[in-house]
Amino acid sequence: MSTLLPHIFNGLTLGLLFALIALGFTLIVGVMEVINLAHGSLFALGAYFALTILGGGWIEGTAVGDWWMGVPLGARYVLALAFGPVLAGVAGMALELCVRRTYGKAPLYGLLLTFGAALVIEEAIRVGWGTGEKSLPLPQAINGAVLIGGLIFSWYKLFAAGFALIAIAAVWLFLERTPYGAIIKAGAHDSEMVRALGYDLSRLRSLVFGLGSALAGLAGVVMVPIWGLRPHLGVDVVIPAFLIIALGGVGSFWGAVIAAIMVGLAVGITGAYASAWSMMSMYLLLIAVVSFRSRGLFGRKSALEV
Amino acid sequence: MALIEAQNIHKRFGARVVLEDISLAFEEGQVSGIMGPNGAGKTTCFHVLTGRYKPDRGTIRFDGVDIAGRTPQALARMGISRSFQIMSLFDQSAVIENVMIALPEFRTRRRRLADSVFNDAGLLDAAREILDQVGLAGREWEPSASLPYGDRRALEIGVALAARPRVLFLDEPTSGLGAEATRNLAELIRRLRARYTIVMIEHDMQFLFDLADRISVVHWGQVIAEGTPAALRTNKWVQRSALGERG
Amino acid sequence: MITLSDIPPRAGAWLTPQIVVFTAILATAPLWLGTIGLYQYLGIEIAIWMIYALGFNLLFGYGGLHSFGHGAYLGIGAYAFGLFQHHVGVSLWGGLLAAVFAAGIAGALVGAAVSHRRGIYFALLTNAYGQVFWFSAIKLHWLTGGEDGLLNIPRPTLDLGFARVDLNDNMALYFFVATALVVSVVLLWRIANSPFGRVLQAVRQNESRTAFVGYDVWWFKWAAFVISTLFAGFAGGLFAMAQESAYPDIMSLHQSGLIVMMVLVGGGLVGFWGPVYGVVLYFVARDVLGTLTETWLLWYGLMFMAVVMFRPEGLAGALHVSARRLPFRAAPRRASVGPA
Repeated sequence: MSTLLPHIFNGLTLGLLFALIALGFTLIVGVMEVINLAHGSLFALGAYFALTILGGGWIEGTAVGDWWMGVPLGARYVLALAFGPVLAGVAGMALELCVRRTYGKAPLYGLLLTFGAALVIEEAIRVGWGTGEKSLPLPQAINGAVLIGGLIFSWYKLFAAGFALIAIAAVWLFLERTPYGAIIKAGAHDSEMVRALGYDLSRLRSLVFGLGSALAGLAGVVMVPIWGLRPHLGVDVVIPAFLIIALGGVGSFWGAVIAAIMVGLAVGITGAYASAWSMMSMYLLLIAVVSFRSRGLFGRKSALEV
Repeated sequence: MALIEAQNIHKRFGARVVLEDISLAFEEGQVSGIMGPNGAGKTTCFHVLTGRYKPDRGTIRFDGVDIAGRTPQALARMGISRSFQIMSLFDQSAVIENVMIALPEFRTRRRRLADSVFNDAGLLDAAREILDQVGLAGREWEPSASLPYGDRRALEIGVALAARPRVLFLDEPTSGLGAEATRNLAELIRRLRARYTIVMIEHDMQFLFDLADRISVVHWGQVIAEGTPAALRTNKWVQRSALGERG
Repeated sequence: MITLSDIPPRAGAWLTPQIVVFTAILATAPLWLGTIGLYQYLGIEIAIWMIYALGFNLLFGYGGLHSFGHGAYLGIGAYAFGLFQHHVGVSLWGGLLAAVFAAGIAGALVGAAVSHRRGIYFALLTNAYGQVFWFSAIKLHWLTGGEDGLLNIPRPTLDLGFARVDLNDNMALYFFVATALVVSVVLLWRIANSPFGRVLQAVRQNESRTAFVGYDVWWFKWAAFVISTLFAGFAGGLFAMAQESAYPDIMSLHQSGLIVMMVLVGGGLVGFWGPVYGVVLYFVARDVLGTLTETWLLWYGLMFMAVVMFRPEGLAGALHVSARRLPFRAAPRRASVGPA
């Protein structure tokens, strides 16, 4: 059992980060009934923006770049953690402007559009940051390993898990305790009614898309030191996101979180036995879950079932 | 023995019981009506009788054969056909193709590769005959999406007729129709009653009482009254509802 | 705007004027391909992808079933062809049959697992299966050669009885593939216009009503899926022959997405020939734009997004609109049959 512990821990960390991704995804699906296939690309974009803010990317080697590198890594990292997601959120809002044109039409068009956007973003990343594998420099404070109970744990993974937990709590507070959150929840439930009540629906949609994308970007920044950073990073993100909301139900906060942890644990534990197949286990899980129709643990009927 | 007989049908969705031990019988050659307030379970009845839902308990017999739980396509081939309250047509296809697809003659050709069905005079004539019956003669090549509402209603019934059923289930056929179109529809049903057994859900009680031989009143998932229109006029519940007001 | 549900003139024919013209273009291509700055091998690639795209559109356009993982069947066809050459014997028809068969089996199995779905679930399921195949192609070293794939796949000789044609010559291979393409076009034209094709379109428009009038809708979706994978497998076999190799990348999500984009941009959602236009457009973008900029795929993707937003009828739809503005009009889009 103790040999499983690191894998379970990995799985939990992964699960918490998946939860961030899934929350962003389910907000968008819930309020707008759009399956955002570019969600993974926005996840990657957040990480790449963070890379630039940290000093990699285009500003490397310039005069500004050199000055910037003089700023302590810790400060740069905090800024990257804060603004990488913000920029991803902005990109998401730009995407939403495109998706607007497909609102009245069959869901196919939104699907195709976000699919095209995913490709475009991936290509743009190749153009902007190159095709090679990169990495985010990490401050000493969160790097390295720590010994707990005779087992070695990655300090960074502890940080990632903790940070994800705080972020999830922040999202919960936002949705449950602020008026904006209430409007978003209402919009997920009945967008027509929200409009009838006088709220600007298009601003709400823009905000939700931005928030969802920012959450994806945040997950990206945090996850990259574990998963690596390359243009193709986003591809493997949409499937778990969809799997999680298929399991946990569209528009359900706890459904997304609990399902995310389950999926993360599944991936982490398969990593113990058949590490090459651990990512594939997500796809297989998706196939299993979606083949036997389910509204998940907490969900309601949604646009997914068209 | 009735042509279609449902006995002790029980259907629930989650915690909600929609049909509670309900029994209905429809005689061959008659026009039978089902009425009741919204949410009473009328449409669910239809869905169960036409194969969309499987009843949790109970039996349904069509001509003596047990059909509970069979798929809609199996029931269609046995002779049970239905129209829909929210119209369910093939909007990108021409009017005639909407009807042709439903013809059993078309179905038996469905796996052949060698020719186009639109060259088959026999099929086209059969489809035109159906269109004629519902009052859409001469409109066959028009795109069905461009028809006015009343004509779409007629086409909706035409598609159900084309399947050459023995029993025709009509779900609120007057829905959205104006006075004249409703009169035309009543005429159509009078013409059809000679050839088909008809079961109708209707909210328009005038319409129903004029046409039906027998009416079942469904409320809270149960049959609360049943009989000829004349008999039902004296029923207290019926009087309290709209028919009483219309007089 | 045109739709696939329109009834084309000559819906019952085996050969239509468009098919004849298309054949003529293909037959004369070696003559003019060079003059517009293109090369023979490109003709082979385009013809192979047209077979793939036309078969795919039976499912995507006619059936309205959006498979996002179809590259898997192209890949399976390619691998099957290569494995046959390496392990069974060097044979053209054997290899192609193996390709079609293998892809068809995979298609039948996956099809059986997805045909009770449509819409987004269908898209994601097919995507997931595609990824599983792709992943397997990489991991099953002993079978597929892993990341490098199968190399040195020979081009078998075409034995016509009265003549033997060496397909190592690109010109000869081109004519072989072009002939296969014409046969595929004729077959698919018949399938699309047969009763099966019309019912498939009914399923696309209104799955529920189609069931209620007596059809086994699941079977139609499954059959359309299998047919599309048979053509994909065939194209894959030809591809392996042309490239003389088979590798995992053809099964990737990227590639599966490309066929979707090609078919949509070309107008596969509204016209039989849409996929043909779409393939041409893609390869022109790749080879012409590609010489101008390395980021041509980015521009292609942006164009795709623009098409989805503003002109989802694609090139076929746009051509129809322009044709109607011309002084002479095309024949009315209805069969004129029997006594009026």
